[in-house]
Amino acid sequence: MQKRRFNLHTILEKRVLTDSTFVLRLEHNGLEFTAGQHIQVGPPNGIHTREYSIYSAPTDDFIEILVREIEDGVVTPALKKLEAGDSVVVNDAVGYFTIDKEVAEGKQFLFVASGTGISPFHSFVKAFPSLNYTLVHGIRFAEEAYERHHYEPSRYVACTSRDEKGDFHGRVTDWLTQNPLNNDTLCYLCGNCDMIHDVYDILEKQGVSSKNIFTEVYF
Amino acid sequence: MKVAFKTLGCRLNQYETDALAAQFSGNGYEVSEQEEGADVVVVNTCTVTNQSNQKSRYVISHAGRINPGAKMVITGCMAESHAEQLQKKFPEATVINNKGKSGIFHSVDSLIKTGNADLSDKDFDLFSYQSFTEMFHTRSLIKIQDGCDNFCTFCIIPFVRGRAISRPVEQVLQNIREVVAKGAREIVLTGVNISRYESDGVKFSGLVDKILNLEGDFRVRISSIEPDRFDDHFFTLIGHPKLAPHLHLCLQSGSERILLQMRRMYTVKDFMEIVDRVRAVDPKFNFTTDVIVGFPGETEEEFEETMAVARKVGFGHMHIFKYSVRQNTRAQRMADHIPDKVKTERSKRMHALAEELTANYRAPFDNTEQRILVEKWSDGVASGYNDYFVPMQFTSVNKKRNRFEVVQARVKDFEEA
Ligand SMILES: Cc1cc2nc3c(=O)[nH]c(=O)nc-3n(C[C@H](O)[C@H](O)[C@H](O)COP(=O)(O)OP(=O)(O)OC[C@H]3O[C@@H](n4cnc5c(N)ncnc54)[C@H](O)[C@@H]3O)c2cc1C
Ligand code: SF4
Repeated sequence: MQKRRFNLHTILEKRVLTDSTFVLRLEHNGLEFTAGQHIQVGPPNGIHTREYSIYSAPTDDFIEILVREIEDGVVTPALKKLEAGDSVVVNDAVGYFTIDKEVAEGKQFLFVASGTGISPFHSFVKAFPSLNYTLVHGIRFAEEAYERHHYEPSRYVACTSRDEKGDFHGRVTDWLTQNPLNNDTLCYLCGNCDMIHDVYDILEKQGVSSKNIFTEVYF
Repeated sequence: MKVAFKTLGCRLNQYETDALAAQFSGNGYEVSEQEEGADVVVVNTCTVTNQSNQKSRYVISHAGRINPGAKMVITGCMAESHAEQLQKKFPEATVINNKGKSGIFHSVDSLIKTGNADLSDKDFDLFSYQSFTEMFHTRSLIKIQDGCDNFCTFCIIPFVRGRAISRPVEQVLQNIREVVAKGAREIVLTGVNISRYESDGVKFSGLVDKILNLEGDFRVRISSIEPDRFDDHFFTLIGHPKLAPHLHLCLQSGSERILLQMRRMYTVKDFMEIVDRVRAVDPKFNFTTDVIVGFPGETEEEFEETMAVARKVGFGHMHIFKYSVRQNTRAQRMADHIPDKVKTERSKRMHALAEELTANYRAPFDNTEQRILVEKWSDGVASGYNDYFVPMQFTSVNKKRNRFEVVQARVKDFEEA
């Protein structure tokens, strides 16, 4: 049996993005993955791990994850305390929220994320530099538009629900309703279940076939 | 020397038991499913629900009570997930995880010959089970895949069965040629998540296509499958004379929201589309399924949605599981776990519906001409399953098992409404 292995990876760098959200850059250690896959990560001395989409691209010589602390959570408060030089346990990358290389060229993509659900899209955009995409990001405050400089400004829409400093004031569902899309767009939805559920409905109403909708539910 | 096998859980476990039994039998051991008088009892455990754990423990204790002198070998998914607890509770037993399962013959053989089980940490091949035809079942189970990377939020299988891995195409075909040459009439394709089969660029439908094109008088049954990877090629195979018109297509829930919470990779609409496309070719096609009732957060309306989908499909059979917490799965950490009383009540309603649907599905087959693979004969009555997986029986003087007969037959235990 090919057991999943847990390996120790040293933290090379920690980038703090907001009070609660940070990026951990880890040693690569030969971890193979396809953009969009996730790994299980946990503090080195505990028995608990959680899933994290890989934020970096397969060609990078490090692995990154984007983490938001859940205050009463088990793993994220422990991860938040770690610094460069500490290590985490990581296991094999798995998951099917990926883009076929052959279709990456020439297709129109819609990425819809809530919060840290932007992570696999960050990896896609790095992995496929000529991707024709629009990324709609649902957040509460504009400061949660994590590392938005990474995306072409015309392709990234921060939908802020609690302030008006984003590109669009309201929820991603409102933006999608006001901006109907071509029904042959490939749609990738990532983040919380309720957002995905609502967006799925809107896309289907706009004529997108469920074969062209891919989901990654975080919680 | 007699070795008894006790098997819990899924078809894959059955396959692995049958293959091990065949290996023991081929090496001069007497094999049986009864523990009485056995020198060794091999219990192939399951851990998919709490109930499976309890049953596994019960079977081990029971076998030990009936036959205190026998050497006990515990393997399977519970031996993977609860190795330490099992070893503590049954200190005399030899506990062998899934990885070592295909090497059990060597372990037991050395246990008997030297008093020590050879548990050397060799990397046994997940597909190195020998081919066999009839062991404890008339159907010839063929393992095409193992492991799963889907990580549905309720499921412990990916943790105990490991990474998804597919058996090479030629190995599968060779295995089938061998069992067909030995007389197998029904081939059942098994694995943990067979819809993800992919080897050398051949996907599941490509593999089935190749199998259907093998020579011989046999039918192919696809066992339990996830509705998340059906391609157009697959639908072209429906109606093939060698493909049994039956799929055990796992629904789990009829609510889109619950399916998302389960991280299943299909929607209710996708599920219905598969059903409709298949039934457009064969309106009698049999769909059987698994459903979970009382998943965390499941509302009464969402439960009703599952009932409605079941009615719409008209399942020929349903396995109903009351949701039970598996350690370290995401669903364990979800809010709004459903009280046991409510789960039991929903389960009862679902069972009542399932019974009604099974009877409705089977009724039109009663007293009609069917092709039946005879599995049993007793007191002048032969019985077995038709192509649609409906249990049937007919009077016959021919006692031979494992033969096809096209005959006017009754649905087994059928009560006319
Ligand atoms: C495939 C997959 C990929 C994921 N990728 C990421 C990622 O890239 N970045 C990331 O930060 N998280 C990601 N998550 C979520 C992550 O696995 C953990 O659930 C999260 O970090 C909380 O862990 P915890 O141990 O701190 O909280 P827990 O103790 O597990 O949970 C506490 C509670 O918080 C809820 N909760 C979990 N996640 C969130 C959230 N993000 N916002 C609000 N409530 C939540 C849970 O439902 C639970 O009730 C992913 C989940 C999955 C299934
Ligand atoms: S597909 Fe889901 S339910 Fe089936 S074995 Fe994999 S994780 Fe478990």
